[in-house]
Amino acid sequence: MTLQETRFAADAGAPVRPVPPRTNKPRRRFPAGAAVTVAVLGIFVFAPVYWVLVTALTPTNAVYEFPPRFWPRHVTLQHFTALVHTPVLLHYLINSLVVSIATAVLTVLVSAYTGYSFAKFRYRGRRSLMYLILASQMFPQAVLLITLYLVFSQVGLLNSYLALILSFTTFTLPLCVWMMKGFFDTIPDELIEAAKVDGAGQFAIIHRILLPVSLPGLVATGLFAFIRGWNDFIFALTLGGPDHLTLPPGLANHYIGEFETGWPELMAASLVVSLPVVIGFAVLQRYLVAGLTSGAVKG
Amino acid sequence: MSAPATPSRSSRAGRGLSNGTFGFLLTLPALALFAAVIMYPLIGALTTSLYKQSLVIPGRSFVGLDNFRFVLENQFWPVLKNTLVFAGGATALAVALGLALALALNSRLPGRGFLRGAFIFPWVIPGVVVSFVWLWIFNANYGILNGLLLRLHLVDHPVVWLGQPGTAMWAVIVAKVWASFPWIMVMLLAGLQTVPGTLHEAAALDGAGTLQRFWHVTLPHLRGILGVVVLLELIWNFQHFDTIYVMTNGGPAGATTTFAVAVYNTAFKGFNLGRAGALGALWMVLLLVLVVVYVRLSERGEKR
Repeated sequence: MTLQETRFAADAGAPVRPVPPRTNKPRRRFPAGAAVTVAVLGIFVFAPVYWVLVTALTPTNAVYEFPPRFWPRHVTLQHFTALVHTPVLLHYLINSLVVSIATAVLTVLVSAYTGYSFAKFRYRGRRSLMYLILASQMFPQAVLLITLYLVFSQVGLLNSYLALILSFTTFTLPLCVWMMKGFFDTIPDELIEAAKVDGAGQFAIIHRILLPVSLPGLVATGLFAFIRGWNDFIFALTLGGPDHLTLPPGLANHYIGEFETGWPELMAASLVVSLPVVIGFAVLQRYLVAGLTSGAVKG
Repeated sequence: MSAPATPSRSSRAGRGLSNGTFGFLLTLPALALFAAVIMYPLIGALTTSLYKQSLVIPGRSFVGLDNFRFVLENQFWPVLKNTLVFAGGATALAVALGLALALALNSRLPGRGFLRGAFIFPWVIPGVVVSFVWLWIFNANYGILNGLLLRLHLVDHPVVWLGQPGTAMWAVIVAKVWASFPWIMVMLLAGLQTVPGTLHEAAALDGAGTLQRFWHVTLPHLRGILGVVVLLELIWNFQHFDTIYVMTNGGPAGATTTFAVAVYNTAFKGFNLGRAGALGALWMVLLLVLVVVYVRLSERGEKR
């Protein structure tokens, strides 16, 4: 589509070429309008981040002054150290790590084969399956939860790691299958044909050639899956029980309650929870657009 | 479409490899998982809508369409209105801001590579953190927003942003837009970079102004990706849960109760699975329209 339109537009522009150039050269000027837009939206995006930082670094008594000070007079790390000394938060942290890593590994293993199949084989029903899986990303989680909760409670899985891992695969599976298909799409058929000529079996092709070649893609996919699991709220909130809560619902339960919230600590905790995800995305810059289209993060 | 942004030239899988049966067998582990954790729960939840069933009491009895009747008479319409206001408002605002930022960052601004990376921050952090951040900003007693407005003498006394129906809805929309417009920016910026610079130069030589060039050169190139972005954003906002649940839990007085919150609270606070299932079924019918359009669009992208 893009190519055709490009050519068409270029043709349309061609006959009028000999018009004398205007005095203004728009591409040379400093883009003032752009700068203003970036500044305004920059304030919208980063002022809240700044405020989180300030709150997390301000001594408690100064946080509850009104009207608030826009910059802190004293800076303290007490709220961060308080987090480390809250055992239940460390417990949530471990849960988050266990569940997110297990989900990522499980989903990547399972969907690597499916991604390869979708990318390189042709059979009846392939397209329907592909798009069913794509569409399943959009099934509402609150609806899926109804049955997941019932089934897990019947088989005694409620409040377990396995319940969280299985429920997390509802969103990591479509993501991983589609990302993986994208990576395998880029591997030329010739590579596989050549291996076949050399007498390699189907599984040898996958395990000795395909997976090593697409290792960066596999890692990227796994990282995106990890992030999705790390960010999940609704499944962990409902299926985790008190012992297997992950950080997001854990923090909500711990801090947002009937009483006045411990805001500076919560802001410090927010920064800490966000850190792995921010680092992950920094690592994944190259795959950013691919990940975002596959649903690496959901709104 | 969902494939990574790699040039489609390198994919020469036109006819694919022989031995389709083996290919199908490869999908079986994922399909088994898919059937167990996605399809079965979905069908199960929809069936529940025909039963009187509680979360805490075992057993159920068939009641036909009673749940639907109850839900349509008592819950559906206000919840639909809230969902439309939330999804429509959040999507429109986020797309407008995302487009503006993408256009701005596509100009010759110094440091735009860094800016693109920095601006994505609100989108990647957990949705719960987004809620915490904005809960604190909108806090009636100590919040920075009230502090700022009071200092500028724009209000006389602190506003209880999350405690009034009108402002609460806007507060959650603002939080959601903050978190989602950076994603739109990244996607549209990728789209903008496919517009050849020579085209702009040619149009400028022909005397086309900025607005004309945007309309006739940029927009046609952006149409495909813009459609996908708007649709995805709409679908996600239509079922968004985290921000609303943590910030207002659907309140005050149900003013921010969207489908996601209503289904969740009916099932897990009210323990009424039948009604939750019925509400969920109606919700899914509406979502399905959007999803079908999205899949069609993706298929077209895939065939290219």
